Amino acid sequence: MDKFKDLPDSDGFFGDYGGKFVPETLMYALQELEDTYSKLKDNNEFFANVDKDLKQFVGRPSPLYFAKRLTKYHGGPKIWLKREDLNHTGAHKINNTVGQILLAKAMGKKRIIAETGAGQHGVATAAVAARLGLECHIYMGANDIQRQSLNVYRIKLLGATVHAVKSGAAILKDALNEALRDWVTNIEDTYYIIGSVTGPHPYPMIVRDFNAVVGRELKEQSIELFNKFPDAIIACVGGGSNAMGVFYPFLEEDVKLVGVEAAGSGIKTGKHAAPLNDGKPGVLHGAKSYLMQNDEGQVIDTQSISAGLDYPGVGPEHSHLKDSRRATYIAVDDVEVLKAFHNVTRLEGIMPALESAHAFAALEHLVKDFSKNANLVVNVSGRGDKDINIVATMGGISLD
Amino acid sequence: MESLLIRLELKLNTLKANARKALVAYLVAGDPDLESTLELMHGFVSAGVDVIEVGVPFTDPIAEGPIIQSAHDRSLKKKITLKKIILLVEEFRKKDSNTPIILMGYLNTFLAYAEELNNIHNRGVDALLIVDIPGESNLNEVGIYNKSIASISLVSPTTSLSRVDGICKSSSGFIYYVTLRGVTGSEDLDIKDAKQNIENIRTKTILPIMAGFGIKTSKDAAYLSEVSDGVVIGSSLVEMIHRASDKKDYKYIYNYLNEISEAINK
Ligand SMILES: Cc1ncc(COP(=O)(O)O)c(C=O)c1O
Repeated sequence: MDKFKDLPDSDGFFGDYGGKFVPETLMYALQELEDTYSKLKDNNEFFANVDKDLKQFVGRPSPLYFAKRLTKYHGGPKIWLKREDLNHTGAHKINNTVGQILLAKAMGKKRIIAETGAGQHGVATAAVAARLGLECHIYMGANDIQRQSLNVYRIKLLGATVHAVKSGAAILKDALNEALRDWVTNIEDTYYIIGSVTGPHPYPMIVRDFNAVVGRELKEQSIELFNKFPDAIIACVGGGSNAMGVFYPFLEEDVKLVGVEAAGSGIKTGKHAAPLNDGKPGVLHGAKSYLMQNDEGQVIDTQSISAGLDYPGVGPEHSHLKDSRRATYIAVDDVEVLKAFHNVTRLEGIMPALESAHAFAALEHLVKDFSKNANLVVNVSGRGDKDINIVATMGGISLD
Repeated sequence: MESLLIRLELKLNTLKANARKALVAYLVAGDPDLESTLELMHGFVSAGVDVIEVGVPFTDPIAEGPIIQSAHDRSLKKKITLKKIILLVEEFRKKDSNTPIILMGYLNTFLAYAEELNNIHNRGVDALLIVDIPGESNLNEVGIYNKSIASISLVSPTTSLSRVDGICKSSSGFIYYVTLRGVTGSEDLDIKDAKQNIENIRTKTILPIMAGFGIKTSKDAAYLSEVSDGVVIGSSLVEMIHRASDKKDYKYIYNYLNEISEAINK
């Protein structure tokens, strides 16, 4: 078997998952992207530019922080936080957009499009497009526009156009459909910055590679701060980009990897967004992967308190890591997530995004498996400012 | 494969022998309901349609513009499944054993019924057109093991000539040339490129080549049929069916198809 780190194969497969399942018109654009990326991949100057932007524009490296009071609260292993919430624009999403916008530039594309759920990827895309003076269009589900209104305004301030998508349940999945349709229509001058390790090959690989800076930093920081690699790394999984970014450099190491999906109202209710826990393999948005679908092969509606995890599919590499048992995937429900959000906020003075709060909520289930000497790292994928309205509403408080 | 490709091949060969162009018509199964779809299919044939493409609805049809998307949604609301669509085809065959039928849709819905698909050639289906599989793949590579069914692939204006060869080799029935850069039903029909691109495809295959996506008027149909072996009409029919769906009076649709049939065979 191929080593995990050597995947995907040349057809874009991670084991059984991945591939390029797209309308014919897009095949040429995917090939063009693949060719450009494989050329630039070994180009030191290109990556020197990416690194420079990550340092000066994003503010990397992000710290590894010891969560003393949270550790005490759980009464088990030492808990460390990888602080992606401190990145410019507030989440890990910017790691990917900083890289992809340079690909777009190298390919001479004049127009940038992206989908967004929580709005973090929309903000991160609009920010890098603004910086290069490129026209930018963000597709967002009409429901997400409501629940993440703060980010919508930020995207507009950054000069991008927000397109409300009303089809389907009007959430992330539907925004992706519409972004793909835009791309099919404007294929020649448009670059599509996908926001997670989803979509057709080569996107899952490219988005992972640009986010892998998180895992590489963590390798150095863990050696520096506790002299070895972590015993476990915990990250939330929507499409799976923050998780894949922090997991990837550790795939061949003896480190437990835990992905946390959104159980929404509870796995048993069927109202959730946890394809790896309660879905089966299928094809959506260009890739084969675990998918929430009914017996007729129709994609079913998802539910989660966090717009960024409210997606019926998942990146194909995660499906492969699940089947081969290299990573474990659990799910936590909305109630657990809110509790964890408040807990971390009060104990550590850090307000995580609701997506990231899923990783914190998982600690409750995981700490018992580790000794006090163990080191657990939670990837704090983003900050919670965007979610204040939701948290207030859930607490019965009106901010108007 | 040969013997079972008979209906589609025979139809297209006969048309060619008579120097006629094919009229291929698309509708979405179950929009507005299955009885109407059946009635429309027979009506299409009487109006001069040679081949019928039956759209299989999917929740996330990324290659479709708003018109066909909405039709998929309406069909799903009626709980139309691939299973019911195959029954519909069997029903159609009771009165029509000549008109080839193609099921057109997205891979995930076909995979959900992979086993059922094994014998659909015996139940009246002649070909599959799966919009979201790479043209070079054979059906069995994507998990559909029926060897007796034609697999129709799309070639678009952006397809590189180097890929056309591989696509044609793994296709049967005909090649579907996409006449625009965009989703179904778009306005920017790309007539200029079509001629050259179709000529290029011809250097790679002896299969007939149909042109489709965005064709609405008999004028466009007439022009495109000159450079191809026939035309596919989709979105404009789906829209007309929807507009007529309360009274279910489809006569004006048949007149429209009649006009196109005449225009491409002047
Ligand atoms: C803060 C944050 N974390 C996580 C996610 C989920 O995406 P992924 O699973 O690709 O990391 C999002 C998506 O919007 C997000 O904004």
